[in-house]
Amino acid sequence: MVAFVIRRLAYSILVVFGVVTIVFFIMNLLPDPSRMMMGERADIATQTAIRHELGLDLPPWQRYVRFIGDVARGNLGRSFTSNRPVLESIWERFGATATLAISSMVLASIVGVGIGIISAIRSYSLFDNATMLFALVGLSVPSFVMGLLAMLIFGSWLNWLPVSGYMWQGGELHLEYLVLPMLVLAFQPVSIIARVTRSSMLEVMTSDYVRTAKAKGATWKSIVFKHTLRNALNPVVTTVGTWLAGLLVGVYFLEYIFNWPGIGLQAVDAITRSDFPIIQGTVIFSAVIFVVINFTVDILYAWLDPRVKLS
Amino acid sequence: MDVMDQVDAPEQAAMKQSLQPRLPSPRITKEETERRKLENESVLQQEPHSLWYYSWRRLRRNRLAMAGLVTTIILVFVAVFASDLAPFDPNMQVLEYSTEPIGFQGNVLLVKSAVDSSQTIPVPITSFQVQSGDSVSFMTVEGRAQAIPMSRLAGTSESEWHKTPIYYFGTDRYGRDVLSRLMFGARISLTVAFFAEMCSLLIGILIGALAGFYRGWIDDGLMWFTNVVWSIPSLLLIIALSIALGLGLWQTIIAIGITGWVDMARIVRGQFFALRETEYVEATKALGLSNKRTIFRHILPNSLGPIIVIATAGFANAIIYEAALSFLGLGVQPPTSTWGQMIHDGYGFIAAGSNWGLTLFPAFAIMTAVFAFNLFGDGLRDAFDPKMKR
Repeated sequence: MVAFVIRRLAYSILVVFGVVTIVFFIMNLLPDPSRMMMGERADIATQTAIRHELGLDLPPWQRYVRFIGDVARGNLGRSFTSNRPVLESIWERFGATATLAISSMVLASIVGVGIGIISAIRSYSLFDNATMLFALVGLSVPSFVMGLLAMLIFGSWLNWLPVSGYMWQGGELHLEYLVLPMLVLAFQPVSIIARVTRSSMLEVMTSDYVRTAKAKGATWKSIVFKHTLRNALNPVVTTVGTWLAGLLVGVYFLEYIFNWPGIGLQAVDAITRSDFPIIQGTVIFSAVIFVVINFTVDILYAWLDPRVKLS
Repeated sequence: MDVMDQVDAPEQAAMKQSLQPRLPSPRITKEETERRKLENESVLQQEPHSLWYYSWRRLRRNRLAMAGLVTTIILVFVAVFASDLAPFDPNMQVLEYSTEPIGFQGNVLLVKSAVDSSQTIPVPITSFQVQSGDSVSFMTVEGRAQAIPMSRLAGTSESEWHKTPIYYFGTDRYGRDVLSRLMFGARISLTVAFFAEMCSLLIGILIGALAGFYRGWIDDGLMWFTNVVWSIPSLLLIIALSIALGLGLWQTIIAIGITGWVDMARIVRGQFFALRETEYVEATKALGLSNKRTIFRHILPNSLGPIIVIATAGFANAIIYEAALSFLGLGVQPPTSTWGQMIHDGYGFIAAGSNWGLTLFPAFAIMTAVFAFNLFGDGLRDAFDPKMKR
């Protein structure tokens, strides 16, 4: 187990190293940022100073080594607009993103697994066909389109929920602001989790040991929950893990549309202001979070199912 | 292969019905026995067909998948013939007709431009009258009376220079026709998705094939690279790339294309892993064929099923990414109309609850396109996978 953990950890670090390298190359394609930083009236001396400070006067490979070193120490540079350390502003905003992502993932897991179980038990029934078609719709609607529709219907037309804003306002908790983005964000994972649970349940339900359980006269409750669900949940765990990782790092549009002050909104704002260090920092930060969660899921999975380690 | 797959659809329906247990169970008549015998004979006499033939037959039976296919074909048709089908020039602005409702009927005089007489400008009016001295007097929308010589009007007869066009989906803020812009938006959306997917297909197949065929350190290296790209959130990577490459059609295609190959590479690698062990690949080795020939002529054609399935899913994703990029103002630049940009333009009205069509129509267009592709892709998956039978 220890060897497995160490191997996975080393691999994860290698992947993060690759991410940082790719980000370095992409950011090298951008025009010289010193021009953007110094404004209209700066002279050559200022520019040279800025270039020196950013290390832009160094040859590429030295810049690369410096960049890797900086990132390894947690230094992601400073924002062009606010001049604050990038990691600090990302970390500050991460709480809002995590709240949104985790709450929708919890909701999605419960609802998705529930729908999946019922669909599998009553496979090819009206409920199954309807929910699976609905799940396909859920997969087909981009989250920002879904967000806009939800805003239009529940915010503007029905006037049930506030259209946009954060749940903490003046030190007070306004949970109604969380509802709409959470529901919209949960829609796609619900669809996927329901589909995965259903197909995994169906597969297990045709297995020999479930047939044996039926033959020996076990109640359907015990068959579904004790024999089938436990064995069918493994792929669901992976799906939930991957989606949580995906949501934690990929809710840009929803945050933007609902004006939810997480890392996504910050990144989208940074695009309109050409604040490249923020974008670059968000890419690296997101990838690290993604890798960390996947690492955790891998370990968890190996711990739950000892067969995994062998591969 | 199951017998069910080798008989025609109507026959199959009949068979299914006859095989279905009913309560009380029907008695099998003599005719029924005869019919079944004939059916079995016809099955035996049938020529064996290729996997493609059976896949297509399974696909054709899947109503949802066919609905997806038909919708896709219609979308492609609209995109290709947008300039013939669209009732308006998508970029023609009639500022007087800003944010008009659905089904609004315009009333315009077509006037030759004073600068370039080959161009016509629509002048919105409330009423007009042909005067004797070869001029036309009219009332503008603001209620001012004006007159214009006949020679300035585009065309000779009244039906040529006086139009009352209907804006079926209303107009946007600049008085442009929403329907026409949607049609031209389909062009951008499908073009970007198509070429981006081709790009992903190429990279994914190449990386997957090399990793799956050679294994060892090549596989380790390529899979490491695949995991690296997988770890970066696609949308962020696409955004970063399109900022770095500059804004425009080709840049958007490349940004989406070189991001979306991860699933493809994984599937192709898995296929190659499995197919390498088969006898016919062994045979190519025994015959001394080159690796290139084995990969492209023998293994690749046999993994086309899963590749096509992943490609359709990738296509749907590419549509979403293109819409997302242009929603942020990063994709193809205005005045070219794209769905994402139309949503962004209409989005400001949502909080006010007015002009919802400006958001809803392009949103619906994106949903339709993606849904159609996913339905078709789902059907393809079922069709290529003999185990997934309904």
